[in-house]
Formats: sequence, C-alpha cells, structure tokens
Amino acid sequence: DALLPAPQNISILSTNMKHFLTWSPVIIHGETVRYSVEFQGEYEREYANESWIPICECSLITATVCNITEDVSATVAYKLRVRADVGARRSEWGTLKGFFNRITTSLTPPPMKVIADGYQLLVDLEDMGPAFQFYVLYWKKGQESRMQQKVVEEVRSMVHLDTMEAGPEYCVKAQTYVEVINRSSSFSQTQCVRAQGGTSMWLV
Amino acid sequence: GPCRVSMSMTEIRSGFTAIKANIQARDPIRTLSILSYPHSLHKVKSSDRCCIAHHLSNFYVDKVFKHCKTEDSYVNRKISSIANSFLSVKRTLAQCHEQNKCMCGQESTEKFKQILANYEGLDVTSAAIKSLGELDILLDWMEKST
Repeated sequence: DALLPAPQNISILSTNMKHFLTWSPVIIHGETVRYSVEFQGEYEREYANESWIPICECSLITATVCNITEDVSATVAYKLRVRADVGARRSEWGTLKGFFNRITTSLTPPPMKVIADGYQLLVDLEDMGPAFQFYVLYWKKGQESRMQQKVVEEVRSMVHLDTMEAGPEYCVKAQTYVEVINRSSSFSQTQCVRAQGGTSMWLV
Repeated sequence: GPCRVSMSMTEIRSGFTAIKANIQARDPIRTLSILSYPHSLHKVKSSDRCCIAHHLSNFYVDKVFKHCKTEDSYVNRKISSIANSFLSVKRTLAQCHEQNKCMCGQESTEKFKQILANYEGLDVTSAAIKSLGELDILLDWMEKST
C-alpha cells in the first residue's frame, strides 16, 4: 500500500472572530477519504509537553473544512494540523505553516439599518456574537464637528440614538470593537435619514 | 500607573461553566478548600491584590492545568481554552511585577504560602482537580477586584 499523502494547502479563514481551517482534498479514486484535525495552543507547547488536542467534531470527517472557533478561544499562537485516513491507511500530519493567533482575524464593517420612526432616530444592528461591541456615530448633516457617539455593548433590539428635528438629515455610521483582541473594524457606509413628519391627532 | 490586565473573563467563565459540574464531581473531598482556607480571598487588602493575582495565575498555569487531563475530550478542550487564556494573564501580570506595579506585601505572601500548603496537602491530581473546581472563586474575586 502506497503511503497516503498528507493533506496540503492547509490554511485559515478567519472573519469576525469565526475561524475555519481548510485544506485541499486528498484524491484516491474509488475511495472515501476522511480527515481529522488537532490543535495545540501556546500553553500546550510550553507547559504540556507539546501535546496536541483532537477536535472531535472534526474527527474522521469527509469535509475539507473545520470550524475551530470554540477551540482557538484565547489570544495566543496556535498550531493546527490535519491528516487523512482511508480504511486502515493513514497519512502523516499536514501542519499549518506558522501559527494562527485570533488577533489577526479580519473585522468587517457591521451591517446596519438606520430608521426614522417619526422623529426618533433608530439604528438596527446585527448581533455578531458576545465578543463584539459597536461604536455608533451620528450627527446632523453638515455639522460633522458635532458628531455624537453611542457605545452598544450588547445588541438586543433597535437602538435609539436621538430625537430629530423636522427638516435636516441625520447621518449614522458604525464600527465594531472586539475587546479580547483590542481591535476595531472600519466604519460602515454612512446612512442618512430625515424625520418622518407625523400628523399629530388633537382630541378636543 | 496601575497594572492593566486584558482578560477575556466572559470566555474563561463560559469555558469553566461548561465543565464545572464534571470537574467538581471528580473532587471527593468537598469539605476542604485550596483557595479559601482558612481565609477567603476577599479578605486580601486591595494593595496586595495584584500580587495575589500574579501568584495565582502562575500557580494555575505552572501547577494546576497540566494535572487535570481527563478521559473526556470535550473537558480537555475547555481546559486548554482556559489554560491558554490564563497564559496571557500570567504574562501581563509578570510584566507588571517586573515594572514594580504589582508589589507583594506580607499579607499576600502569607496568603499564597497558605494556598500552596493547602495544595501540597493533597496528592497532585486531587489538588489540581480541586483547584480547577474552585476557579469560579478566583474569577469572582478577580472580577470584584477590577
């Protein structure tokens, strides 16, 4: 039996603190190839005899991607490796070149929707997970110098920003901040709205 | 200035909460405490807190986590997550200690000696599992101290 080749092109896709290990498939005609993934944090390298820890959700899987977010949950350098199995045959480990530290995750501007509910300026933010806070900036168009900021620690529902005057446009932009890696995304596109002049009902 | 430690407390707590019952079930001696005997951590003077935190992060990284390997892969993964997070904390506190921002007084030295005595009064694995099972005591104290 020829030795099973180790998986190649091992890389990390990490966006908004969600981390995935991917690799190229090992092709063995007429056979189903399965893969297993292990990780090693800095603690394991320095204090636990360089031990490796298996990720059971990614043991003997046929997919060529593994979600490692739950395991890479400290801001230290991790090593990752994957090997292939076909029946009783097993490859050597393919190891990610270098290390992965979640501090390098790419942070995208947050999706947001600005709403004028009568004279109320609201913003609808997407929940991106417990690690994320939002910095929301809002201002009256033309008065950028009087920009105001609201920090949103947890997204539960619509966020109320201000009560608008009739007439001028109000503009809003937002960015995310991830405390555990002390980094922010770039700002989202600015969105501007005007108060929706509601008809007030006078009961006499 | 003060010692600033960026610590993903939420992540460490959720990692510990996920395995707390499993770990504490492995600790048969519930009447003894490593961290709280004879006195609670909460009795430590504020000026000594940084030093105790420094000692305890070293204690957990150097002595505790490595002796807590279990037959349960899920538990081992969570312990790894906590241990790697503590490694970051240990490093930051070591820097503070070197910059004399984390002074050790008589009280913190005595308190840590007592913790070590409690730890060494048991066999290694039992002491490590008990210490890990008391992690929420440490987290509560660290959170209250910030």
